Amino acid sequence: ADDEVSQLTKPDSSVSVGLGYWTEDRPQLGIFDGMRESGAYGLLDANIVKRDDATGTWYTFSARNLGLESRDLKAEYLRQGNIGASIEYSKTLRDNPHLFLTGLRGIGTTNLIVSGAGRNALPRNEVELGTTREGTTLGFYKNLLPGLDFNVSFKNEEKDGTRLWGRGGAAEFAVEPIDSTTRQLEAVLNYTGERLQLSGGYNGSWYDTHNTLVDTIRQGDNPTVLNNHFFLSLPLDNEAHQLFLDGGYNFTPSTRGRFKVEYTHATQNERLPTSSIPGLSLAGAPSRLNGEVNTTLVQLGLTSQVTRNFSLGANLRYHDADDDTPVRRFVQANARCNASECVDNTPFSYKTLTGKLEGTYRLPQGYSLTGGYEQREDDRRIPVSNANGAGGRDTQRVVPMRSDVEERTYRLQLRRTLSETLGGSLGYIHSEREGSHFISAAAGPGGAPSDLINPINIADRDRSKWRLAMDWTPLERLSAQFVYENAQDEYGHSQARPFGLRDGSAELYSVDVSYKLNNDWKMSAWYSKDLTKANQRGQRAEIRNRTTGALELRAAEKDADLSDAGESVGLSVVGRATPKLKLGADVHMSLNRSKFDERIIRTAPDPVPGVAAVGPLPDINTRVTTFKLFAEYALRKDSDLRIDLIHERWKTDDWTWQFANGTQFVYTGAGTSAATFTDGTSVVANQRQISNFIGARYIYKFQ
Amino acid sequence: AEKEAPKDIVLTGDAKCTSCHDENDSPEALRIGKTKHGAVADKRTPGCTNCHGESEKHVKEAGRGSGPTPPVDVGFTKKNAASSQERNAACLSCHQGSKRIGWQSSTHANQDVSCSSCHKIHDGKDPVRDKADQAEVCYECHKEQRAQVSRPSRHPIPEGKVNCSSCHNVHGDNPKALAKSSVNATCYSCHMEKRGPFVHNHQPVTEDCAICHNPHGTVIENLLKARPPFLCQECHSHTSHPSQSAGLPAGRTGSTTELGTVGRGCLNCHTNIHGSNSTQNSATVNRFRR
Repeated sequence: ADDEVSQLTKPDSSVSVGLGYWTEDRPQLGIFDGMRESGAYGLLDANIVKRDDATGTWYTFSARNLGLESRDLKAEYLRQGNIGASIEYSKTLRDNPHLFLTGLRGIGTTNLIVSGAGRNALPRNEVELGTTREGTTLGFYKNLLPGLDFNVSFKNEEKDGTRLWGRGGAAEFAVEPIDSTTRQLEAVLNYTGERLQLSGGYNGSWYDTHNTLVDTIRQGDNPTVLNNHFFLSLPLDNEAHQLFLDGGYNFTPSTRGRFKVEYTHATQNERLPTSSIPGLSLAGAPSRLNGEVNTTLVQLGLTSQVTRNFSLGANLRYHDADDDTPVRRFVQANARCNASECVDNTPFSYKTLTGKLEGTYRLPQGYSLTGGYEQREDDRRIPVSNANGAGGRDTQRVVPMRSDVEERTYRLQLRRTLSETLGGSLGYIHSEREGSHFISAAAGPGGAPSDLINPINIADRDRSKWRLAMDWTPLERLSAQFVYENAQDEYGHSQARPFGLRDGSAELYSVDVSYKLNNDWKMSAWYSKDLTKANQRGQRAEIRNRTTGALELRAAEKDADLSDAGESVGLSVVGRATPKLKLGADVHMSLNRSKFDERIIRTAPDPVPGVAAVGPLPDINTRVTTFKLFAEYALRKDSDLRIDLIHERWKTDDWTWQFANGTQFVYTGAGTSAATFTDGTSVVANQRQISNFIGARYIYKFQ
Repeated sequence: AEKEAPKDIVLTGDAKCTSCHDENDSPEALRIGKTKHGAVADKRTPGCTNCHGESEKHVKEAGRGSGPTPPVDVGFTKKNAASSQERNAACLSCHQGSKRIGWQSSTHANQDVSCSSCHKIHDGKDPVRDKADQAEVCYECHKEQRAQVSRPSRHPIPEGKVNCSSCHNVHGDNPKALAKSSVNATCYSCHMEKRGPFVHNHQPVTEDCAICHNPHGTVIENLLKARPPFLCQECHSHTSHPSQSAGLPAGRTGSTTELGTVGRGCLNCHTNIHGSNSTQNSATVNRFRR
């Protein structure tokens, strides 16, 4: 009996060693897991937990995917309630699923040479892109006094690799070289008393990049001519320092107040790299941004069980992200500074005040009714001070803005709990968003309107949401769950401002069933179907030939119906075939279909001669299927042999990297004919992937 | 002879319960010994009654008579009548501090979620505290997010590299139960290069990353909610090539009017869309192309 009790009460440990093999490459489904290429992989996992019962001291070591590049390791010492320390390492991969055939030289560096035309074309090579993050975290904990703990953690992460980019001057392939270090430090004092709890401390974070500017040039262009270079800026070093205090106080056993204050000072003050290159900067423009964003958060809340059946919660939140970066001029084409002639930096600030009140009344038979009201007021400080268009920042914007946006949200929910067989909730949320008048954007080139749109994040909007959730347990062995969600958005528009999203909707159905056949076997299945739609109105502006000035396309309006539909199915069976043999199967399928129905809806007074590109866009269907089987056989009481089989399939007709006839997309770069086209990078996007895995592991268990 | 008083098996004072619920009757209950609650050398660890109440009626009447056994004062199964507040009070009596200070005003608390809805207290391995298994626990309620994580563009959640609590403090009362005080502050934890401020800031980027991205998963590369040019045309009705119709070019072309859909779409040229630090003396330097 002592052995049996010990088995039940002592911490468990295990070590697993094995070998796995993928039959084919997995360019899409293996982008994160370190098993992208076909071949053999070591499978090594460990979870070792030891406890000294006399002192309450834990020694833990865990390793996951130790045989793969995507490995995680953690070791911890903890004298529970007294002192502890930990160290953790994690490597995260992110591979671009596509293959690039490119002549681009200098990939991974800050000097890129793009293939030129004709005899300046560079030979193409196969290139794969991807990044790795290697993070190391140190943690320390000390209990200082009863109820008073000190925690400190420090994380250092190195991110390296390459990311798909663009040269910017034209649609030319470029690669962003990534080589940066981020560090995060958090030191917190936590006090937990019977009535008062406080948590206060410091959060610091530093971004340190080793690349600040990429110089690009085309093969064959004279490098001594400054205009032949296209310089691409990169994010610069930045840092943030935060002080915070979070607190709660129990006035009575049923009434609690809370507060939170945070202040964050963030800066970006690295030397602007283009300012060091003669001829690239406006005379007198600053060489550093002196970027500074100060964010303040103040929050107050109260929750109370007012009566036995009525509870109330109130919350007030003030969040002010204040970009205090000085506004300086970086471009000035002439002294008058008309539209598109001057450029300043653009600090944006946001002040948000949110108030929330919510009450719940408990009704008989386990029902409860909740009603709530929330009001959110956004006050933006946007660089629009020179609204007369005579020059300055207002002439630089191409999207209309509004400084104040207000949203009111009403919530009602009927819920039933405390039932053995049936529980659930029905909720309805309605919100209305509106704001101050729109501040016009500058006219686009040729005086054509840029101002006729309601930008999605500040447009007037009415939103209604329903959510029905039910849990049904008709038998002890059988349980089912059903969820239905429906959201409808209506966006405001007017004759003066007709463009932007008109309406949108989202629907979700989901069913989960779990059934326990007997003490040895159980199964579960789920199915989800979702549908998201949006209707978007826009304009197709008049186009004239740049050389001849001849009209190529009349102005027209566009109406687009966009939709994404998804279906997912999961099925799982796990059981014991014999006392020593455990078996399991798991199937997961998902299908996503996107539609892009865009129409030109106004043809008068002249017929529209068609869009320049070939439309309409075909649907995109993506299907993923994963089928897993496992068998685990108990060799002895303390050791198992486990076999895993996986069959996975990926199939898509995604045209993102294709021309209209289905051939691979090729970057054209500059030039107007085949003889003068540059770059020439083509992209191979794998549309089909089938791979199989077999893995065998020996698992040793101990205490 | 005087009957020997039952001895504790795992926790201090557990004999009151384990004299009946022993390894034969209730082996799952004894697994509390594998957990942090089972480290009795830490004098703060609770006994059975700290969480389940003294349950005198249950103790007195269990197994006596033919009627059903009265339940314990605070039980954590559907059969027990204790409310979520009563269940949570047992946990909060010790765990109210740190990141759980705001629990009572959190969305989860308002929805009658109890600690035991997500946590397995009597288990050495609590799935919701395991990086690889956590999401499955959250999916028990969050079906929309389960469907989104199945989509082609997503964070490495199934691989256990990112989990729900990387971004969410589900015990807190930040908007959307975020770990930090805003969406952007949360995203900057891993994507610090986007923090800026830049010389040329893109307005929606500075306001809320979720205007363009859905972090749980989408069908478009880089977690975009919509595909260019439609995404960009949610704000830009600008003339000339920004107003282009969506479509695929017939073949190689340098026309910007035809390149807003294929490849990276508008970002083929406007490549530094999260912000640019170029000071180049050009009127288009603020259009995120350099």
